[in-house]
Amino acid sequence: MADLLSTAHYGTVGLTVATGLLNERIRSMRRIFEDHGVGTVLRADFKPSSRTELLRLLRRFRNLYDVVAVRCVSQQVATVSCRDGRVDVVFFDVANRNLRFSHTFARLLRGAVEFNLVSDLAGQGDVWAFSRIRKAIMVAREHHANVVLSSGARNHEMVRSPFQISALAMMLGLTREESLRGVSSAPLAIVTENRVKRSPEYVEEGVKIVVPSRR
Amino acid sequence: MRRVARRYILVKIVCDRKFTNEQFHDALYDAVTRFFGELGVTRIDPRIVKFDMESSTAIVSCERSATPEFESALTLITGDAEVSMTLLVLRVSGTIKGATKGRK
Repeated sequence: MADLLSTAHYGTVGLTVATGLLNERIRSMRRIFEDHGVGTVLRADFKPSSRTELLRLLRRFRNLYDVVAVRCVSQQVATVSCRDGRVDVVFFDVANRNLRFSHTFARLLRGAVEFNLVSDLAGQGDVWAFSRIRKAIMVAREHHANVVLSSGARNHEMVRSPFQISALAMMLGLTREESLRGVSSAPLAIVTENRVKRSPEYVEEGVKIVVPSRR
Repeated sequence: MRRVARRYILVKIVCDRKFTNEQFHDALYDAVTRFFGELGVTRIDPRIVKFDMESSTAIVSCERSATPEFESALTLITGDAEVSMTLLVLRVSGTIKGATKGRK
């Protein structure tokens, strides 16, 4: 998969890892990607069933990952995820007809909303999935929400180049600039901001420890 | 009549087994027809310019104004029940020569 990502001209990819995975295993996985010239960003995908579980997961794991994403499975979880500043990315299950990215969530959203276009759409032939994603993109555009586009690839068959994902997003209602931002600068901004927050000098927003240079 | 401008796209075909030009042709036209309909096929006007089974690459072309549509159709190709196929767009160019430059 790493060589395919390299062929598809990816500079950096988000590597979703299980929270219980050993550091040594993570390091060896990252090394494989870096050997192919692809940088990695550690990402955790949470799928909490309740608000309390989400808050517990965030307390425990927020500082360990570059990107924290939450799969919204219920109204309660979606509301808290959108409102909580510790959540970088929220995404919705396209198969779940009872829950979608609505105006309510768009107004609350502090992070970004993610669309896993390839894994949700490729090969399924589900017209309603196209329709739901299109509507969600319209809502995100209306509220100027931060949009992140991803392939959502779990295997090599789902890997596509960033320009392909951008082209697909254009078909679903984003402009060329918005779709390119969704695959490049928007995710990069999230990672950069989180790396600053995770650095030892960071105290809180707007405050950091500045060590004076010795003469 | 004025010549229609076209875009030439270099694609890498990722497939777990060998496949023929016909299979690739069928997958391509099926995908475009499925997502954009028969009218869409006439507008996009997809064509296979070159097909190299050894390097698993191909150059396909479409009408210039329909490039995003064609690229998105290429994105959604997953093959059929017999062969699973993934197409990676490596380069888009206005000439065949330009598209061939990116070939590895």
